[in-house]
Amino acid sequence: MDIARITTLIVAMAFLLPVLPVQAAMAHGVDVTVTPREAVEVVASFDGGDPMSGAQVTVFAPGDPAEPWLQGTADEEGRFYFVPDPARPGTWEVRVRQAGHGEIIRLEVDGSGIAGTTGTGLTALQKVLMAAAVGWGAIGTALYFKRRAA
Amino acid sequence: MGMRRFRLTTMLALLLVGVLVFAGCATEEPIDPQATTPVNDDIPVGTLVFVADGEEHAREGTSSKDGWDIVFEHAYVTLTDIIAYQTDPPYDVEDGWSIEYDHMVGLPGEHTVDLADPGSDPATVGAVQEALEGHYNALSWNIVRAGSGPAEGYTMIFIGTAEKDGESVDFTLRFDREIAYQGGEYVGDVRKGILEPAGEAEMEMTFHFDHFFGRADKDADDPMNVDALGFDPLAALATDGAIDMSMADLEESLEAGDYAKLEAILLHFGHVGEGHCIAEPLT
Repeated sequence: MDIARITTLIVAMAFLLPVLPVQAAMAHGVDVTVTPREAVEVVASFDGGDPMSGAQVTVFAPGDPAEPWLQGTADEEGRFYFVPDPARPGTWEVRVRQAGHGEIIRLEVDGSGIAGTTGTGLTALQKVLMAAAVGWGAIGTALYFKRRAA
Repeated sequence: MGMRRFRLTTMLALLLVGVLVFAGCATEEPIDPQATTPVNDDIPVGTLVFVADGEEHAREGTSSKDGWDIVFEHAYVTLTDIIAYQTDPPYDVEDGWSIEYDHMVGLPGEHTVDLADPGSDPATVGAVQEALEGHYNALSWNIVRAGSGPAEGYTMIFIGTAEKDGESVDFTLRFDREIAYQGGEYVGDVRKGILEPAGEAEMEMTFHFDHFFGRADKDADDPMNVDALGFDPLAALATDGAIDMSMADLEESLEAGDYAKLEAILLHFGHVGEGHCIAEPLT
């Protein structure tokens, strides 16, 4: 354990226009549906800037702080994506841990989508940069695949 | 007369309800742990247990960044002014010492625990019965000089043995710097501090011994090892295979850079699981 902490977190908001599901007809009876979603991007790194590669990520839905809603692992760059359930508005919590370092951050989800983050553990400068990045029009699209065998 | 009494009773009742409903506070003023926000008989309560953990480094020993195998016989820490908070929005150490809380629970008294005790996994400091249900997601405490007991006069005493390449050093390190710590929610394998009605929840003060000595399983340029003292500087002060020094002794004997490291380490010693705390010296 040490002075390191998660330096960057969250949010990439997808300001996407409503798009009709795209259905691609494929051979052998496979049906794939692609639906743009508003996703959350978690980027976790240590104070020194090194990514928290392979960090354990646990997501808790509003009103159920003891039971993980989703668990996963960050990629080599410390990134992790998930799509909050819009039917569960409130404060979502994301716990990121690796080798004795960890932090819990929170984001607000309301009826219209991801509203913002709280308790990020960011410095003021980082918060400003984060806000700028979000305002700039960030990223974040999750693909939803629905397959149906023939 | 009867009507006056009725009005007075009604006003007092309304005042009491107001205190209970609007218990939220934001303060940088010292908080009296005796002054736990009151709850009445109709509010669901449970037991809030305060624990302290030196992790396996304290209980089972640790390998320092400079190759010493360190085993603790005792690692006494004396704690006071222990307070758990329910905060919404959740308290963030980046916001400094000001903490807005809806409810607080204090553990009165001075408590010395031995973090090296194999049974202290973690060590129970004390418990508050009838704590209001809810999510306690912030914690503050002080380490102070013990008024009595095995660590009397000191905030912390580490007693143990370090071995390296056939050399053995018995050490007793006595610290007297009093420090206040404050952190947010516990970060670890499980969520802590979630108190259900008639249930029990833990609030943990965690102490990271690897900050003192570094870790052999991490690279030399790992930030923690860079900032850690290690054991070589202490071994260099040993006489006849033993060192018994107070903070003042260490200030006089260690190189200035090493003593500065030690002072910084003390401020990074207290955690909430893996979550960091803010800290400031009280003396």
